[in-house]
Amino acid sequence: MSWRVTEVPAVLELRGVTKSYDGDPPIEVLKGIDLTIEEGELVAIVGPSGSGKSTLLNMMGALDRPTSGDVLIDGAVVNGLGDSSLSGVRGRRLGFVFQQFHLLAGLTATENVATGLLYHGSSARERKAQAREALTRVGLGHRLDQKPGKLSGGERQRVAIARALLGDPAIVLADEPTGNLDSTTTGEIVELFLELNQQGSTIVMITHDPDLARSMPRVVEILDGEIRLDQVATS
Amino acid sequence: MTELATAPNHRSRLRLVDVVSQALLGLTSRKLRTALTALGISIGIASLISIQGITEANQAEARAEIDALGSDFLFITAGTGITEEAELLPYAPDMLETHLDALEYVAALYPVDARARKNELIPEVQTGGVTVSAITSTGLDLLEPVNGSVAFGRFHDATSVEVPGVVLGSLAAERLGIRHLVGHPTINISGHQFAVIGVLNEFETLNTDLNRTAIVGLSVAQELFDTPDTPSAIYAQVQPEQLDEARDLIPAQANPAAPGEVAVSRPTEALEIREVIDETFARILQALALIVLAVGGIGIANIMVISVIERRGEIGLRRSLGATRKHIASQFVIESTMLSLLGGVLGVVIGVGIVLGYAQYKSFAAVIPWYWLSVGVAAAFALGAIAGLYPAWRASRLEPAEAVRPAA
Ligand SMILES: Nc1ncnc2c1ncn2[C@@H]1O[C@H](COP(=O)(O)OP(=O)(O)O)[C@@H](O)[C@H]1O
Ligand SMILES: [Mg+2]
Repeated sequence: MSWRVTEVPAVLELRGVTKSYDGDPPIEVLKGIDLTIEEGELVAIVGPSGSGKSTLLNMMGALDRPTSGDVLIDGAVVNGLGDSSLSGVRGRRLGFVFQQFHLLAGLTATENVATGLLYHGSSARERKAQAREALTRVGLGHRLDQKPGKLSGGERQRVAIARALLGDPAIVLADEPTGNLDSTTTGEIVELFLELNQQGSTIVMITHDPDLARSMPRVVEILDGEIRLDQVATS
Repeated sequence: MTELATAPNHRSRLRLVDVVSQALLGLTSRKLRTALTALGISIGIASLISIQGITEANQAEARAEIDALGSDFLFITAGTGITEEAELLPYAPDMLETHLDALEYVAALYPVDARARKNELIPEVQTGGVTVSAITSTGLDLLEPVNGSVAFGRFHDATSVEVPGVVLGSLAAERLGIRHLVGHPTINISGHQFAVIGVLNEFETLNTDLNRTAIVGLSVAQELFDTPDTPSAIYAQVQPEQLDEARDLIPAQANPAAPGEVAVSRPTEALEIREVIDETFARILQALALIVLAVGGIGIANIMVISVIERRGEIGLRRSLGATRKHIASQFVIESTMLSLLGGVLGVVIGVGIVLGYAQYKSFAAVIPWYWLSVGVAAAFALGAIAGLYPAWRASRLEPAEAVRPAA
């Protein structure tokens, strides 16, 4: 893929990333991961429970620092940054979707989505306007003022996805976003990711469900902290 | 390729108004917990303020009464002697008067061994607590030294002390069911009918004994009941400059055999002493209130620590949204400060309410202790900020990856 080597850097790149946790002996969860995600990709990271998927996502999202190796976002190494800059990168360049949604119970759907811009320093009015737009994009234009307690699991995850989209991040990282959802809803969420990807969003989605991964344009299979397979769908 | 270039500066920024709004959100999403935690602070602050307000109101009232009484009256009573007879002074007031020419006799009270009740049908026990005392025709100015006044009817005059007439203290009147003088009510004193000629206003601070007293004439009392020749208390007036001299001389002259059994006091003295005691007592209570406040502060710290543990996911989410450690720390410190401040403001409202209620109840002038209001609010502010430091530190130390991990 030498034609891709241009001045435009990859959105995200891991180079020889390892991660060990303290222990006797230390637990090596990631064993030298090399992975590049280009703009506009939709990548499924699949692997059995405990294989190191979440740890990998934490590295990609600068939520944790690798034991060795480098994490590059927009072509720049971020693992050496201080808390303030690292937080800035997370807030401005990355969007996160978690299995357990992490919505604030006291806020409406719009207000929850608006928190996506909270640490950008934008005004409340601007945040809300963008939040309503994003909610409409994920098909929740009719649920703007509902609190999470009144929403179904699928709707909650859509709210979380809308929040991750706010501020136009370079990449959206989703850790088992359908892990708490039934199969119908799971299908709908996968459909939404495909749709958003069509519209230009770069998305990495973690799942332990191989069937689900199969519908994705690119599948990275991880086992025991190593990439076993990196496959681009031929269609 | 441009790898290893320094990252463009993506800075997180949180508006000040949002620092506050996020902290408020934490408090409003847990209303019951917020209310209960703030209550601890409220109680402390309310106590601090109400104790001060009540003490100041009492002192203002006492000072007003001291001014009203004048400081040149003396109360001469049988001191708390070793013997029971010490309840009586050994001299009649006119005898005492001859000893000290500077002393101007005003009035004397003689204890009467008799029981008052409404009428013969009502057993004595039901009007218990009413004592009977007597005055002479030379003691008609009794109300002056004791700062008393008539609620209705009139006080004794030269005629009424020679016939079975009675003036009642407020409580005595109440117990005997005398609410007005329509129809010329009478009461029964140990089997004899006495016409009620007047009822006194309540004595609120000093001479409260008189509230329970039925005052009759001495000559009538001595004729009908067992009544001594010497009084239990003499009310006298001296020239202000001779006050100290009189105090020294009277006991020895009134009872040379046992000067220690004669107590001479100025009525204002009791008030002055009480003022000091009130002040001391208020300080002790306020020290307790401060302890309550400190416990309230510990309560806040405790709740905030629990909150940090419970809200791990929220902290992780915020970190993923770009919050720095400082943003997280400030959110929790401000949340804690606002929680405490809420308690403080509530405490001020309750405290002022108590002060106003007390003043109303006592018919005193309300004294709002402004200084203590500001002390209370400042204390709540500082306490909340300090209580929030440790929880905020813990929240900010939480690693983002750790915080977003689903609970096991
Ligand atoms: N903070 C940690 N300390 C120690 N071990 C950890 C920690 N986080 C994850 N692990 C271990 O790393 C392995 C991979 O975890 P994880 O990345 O969560 O896997 P997955 O998401 O694929 O299920 C597991 O064995 C887990 O127990
Ligand atoms: Mg996982």
